[in-house]
Amino acid sequence: MRRIVAGVVAAAAAIAVLAFCGLALGHAPAELLRVAIRGSVGSPFALQGTIVKSIPLLLTGLSVAVAFRAGVWNIGAEGQFIVGALAAFVAAPWGLTAALIVSIAAGAVWASIATALRFWRGAPEVLTTILLNFVGLHLLGWAVNGPLQERIAQYPQTDPIPSSAALPRFGLTSLHAGIVIAVVVCIALWIFLERTTEGLRMRATGFNASAAQWAGVNVTLQIAGAMAISGGVAGLAGGIELLGVTHRLFELFAAGYGYSGIAVALLAQLHPIGTLVSALFFGALQTAAGELQRSANISITVATFGQAVVILTIIGFGSFRARD
Amino acid sequence: MILNLAHIRRTFGATVALDDVSLSAGPGEIIGIIGENGAGKTTLMRIIAGEIVPDAGSVAVDGTVGFVHQHFMLVSEFTIAENLALAAGSMHPPVSFERPRRLVRELSVGERSKLELAKAIAGRPRVLILDEPTSVLTPVEAEDLFQTMRLLADSGTCVLLISHKIREVLGVATRTVVMRRGRIVAENLSAEAMARAMVDVPVEPGRSRSNRTASGREADESRLYRPGQIAAIIGVAGNGQVELATRLRDTLARASAAHIPEDRTRDGFVAEMSIAENIALLAGVRGARARAARLIETYGIRASGPEQRAGSLSGGNQQKLLLARELDRNPKIIIAAEPTRGLDFESTRFVHQQLRAAAERGAAIVLITSDLDEAFALADEIRVIYRGRLSEPLTPAEASERAGRLMAGLE
Repeated sequence: MRRIVAGVVAAAAAIAVLAFCGLALGHAPAELLRVAIRGSVGSPFALQGTIVKSIPLLLTGLSVAVAFRAGVWNIGAEGQFIVGALAAFVAAPWGLTAALIVSIAAGAVWASIATALRFWRGAPEVLTTILLNFVGLHLLGWAVNGPLQERIAQYPQTDPIPSSAALPRFGLTSLHAGIVIAVVVCIALWIFLERTTEGLRMRATGFNASAAQWAGVNVTLQIAGAMAISGGVAGLAGGIELLGVTHRLFELFAAGYGYSGIAVALLAQLHPIGTLVSALFFGALQTAAGELQRSANISITVATFGQAVVILTIIGFGSFRARD
Repeated sequence: MILNLAHIRRTFGATVALDDVSLSAGPGEIIGIIGENGAGKTTLMRIIAGEIVPDAGSVAVDGTVGFVHQHFMLVSEFTIAENLALAAGSMHPPVSFERPRRLVRELSVGERSKLELAKAIAGRPRVLILDEPTSVLTPVEAEDLFQTMRLLADSGTCVLLISHKIREVLGVATRTVVMRRGRIVAENLSAEAMARAMVDVPVEPGRSRSNRTASGREADESRLYRPGQIAAIIGVAGNGQVELATRLRDTLARASAAHIPEDRTRDGFVAEMSIAENIALLAGVRGARARAARLIETYGIRASGPEQRAGSLSGGNQQKLLLARELDRNPKIIIAAEPTRGLDFESTRFVHQQLRAAAERGAAIVLITSDLDEAFALADEIRVIYRGRLSEPLTPAEASERAGRLMAGLE
């Protein structure tokens, strides 16, 4: 209950701070809110855009939530997202299923590099996962300027994937079947964490690794497992974004979805089902920011600003809880 | 007398850290203050140094006090000279140090401890307190330090040395004091009597001390386990008990072994999780609620139900939860480390009952304890652990005769 309150307050705080900034820039908050709602949920078209943006956010949010629940600080969803998409692109000629599976595997392997460094050299995963983001980003940059560049070699981007590998869309909308996969993953992770022994052991590792170890939990295995699942889900997010939305790779493909996943997970208080709601909130925030840019000439970075406010509010709540 | 403490009492919340402690000391004395962790040594020293105020009693110190803390209190980005100046309050401290322009972070642990000592004597104190000064030193560095202590004593300083190493204290001190549970329980004892006094065994005078050959060789740990038998391992804290329990945890197959860890609040259970979840960590989530409800009933855990957070249980009930989780699976081997530490009488009795019952069912029990009464009351055989080594098994009768010497490392 308290966690829900914290989430709602954080979301409200984000909106309030944004409204205040709008006021400072000479816009009436009520007017801004109207524009924001129109741009995010006010029309079937806007709603579609919000949902399509929410799909990668849901998956990267889940990725971060699983890792954080196990006490593993995976800040590398961005890199895992990119690597997952790259792998999916390479595997696309073998069909949709192959591409999706390969994207999961690639993300898991990419994240597991950080696990290996942690156990081999004691390198903290907070650092290694962030650094691996840059490695992934430059790997993508090299690929779209080199071996994977489109055949006519005009732009730094790939050719589109074969249409047989694209995720099917619903009718004439931009909504694609990735939403089904994302929701299934969400429910599966919820059941895993809350209803299975391994999930329980993973959470225990996150709360108190020492006590978990005395209770017979193989803590090393749990940490490695959490990292692999986390990376796999982020990789899948990248694969789905490629196969469902962009259909090709380019340098700015990831667009910060991996980093936004941290805000999504924190607003959801690391709960898989809560992630569903918070992904929609941040999806709406992004489409609203787009509309604000078009109609009110407010920079689209307000969406990022909103995320920051949410994270800070949640952290404030966290320390408040720790004190009582 | 330089130092005169009379009837000092100090409490922290509900804990009595010091209770009616009196101590006086004159110039040239080196007083060894010995006791286990939590005996009140450091609190007493901080009162002498004026860092904390006693609740009752009087403190009289003639002159200044120098205090070398157990943990380094140096500014690592400052040079040696700057650290000395910081302590002495002048840029020309009365102590010289070789190459004083080196940064503290470049110094070895031995040099840092020397610098701490230099800081403490820079103010020319009449009373010098050293809190576990040798814990980070090599034997050679420690001997150096003792030499310095003797020099200071010869020049009229009164030195107070806190330690839990019996041999080292006897080697340097002119007088020794044993503290236990906030009181001074004995003065000027032999090494063996000191070990006994630290962990609370009555010293029985007039007993013949047979001079048997040393039994310090490491016993084969697998011989610890005999079905239906309770084997106790006793010793002064810090002699490898924690390492032994951890090693047994990591080597025994968890399916047939139960573990009661020494640090209950940190290692015993996940405080943030419910009773049912803590039990399910080991037994699995299937039927976890029903199992938890049954165990709450059987073990008499005072809880509102399986969903109560484990961290909100009282100490005794937390230990019951731990016993319930570990013993309900009918383990073949049970490793119990300090299973009754900090428990009230009733909970202690319950734990002992459960351990005896498990032994009767045929489990092999290893009881690692610093409570000798517990060891004598429960164990079929007793071994002493000293510096990580286990003695040969002793019968309780043999143990009451030899345990003190073995714990002090004299056999």
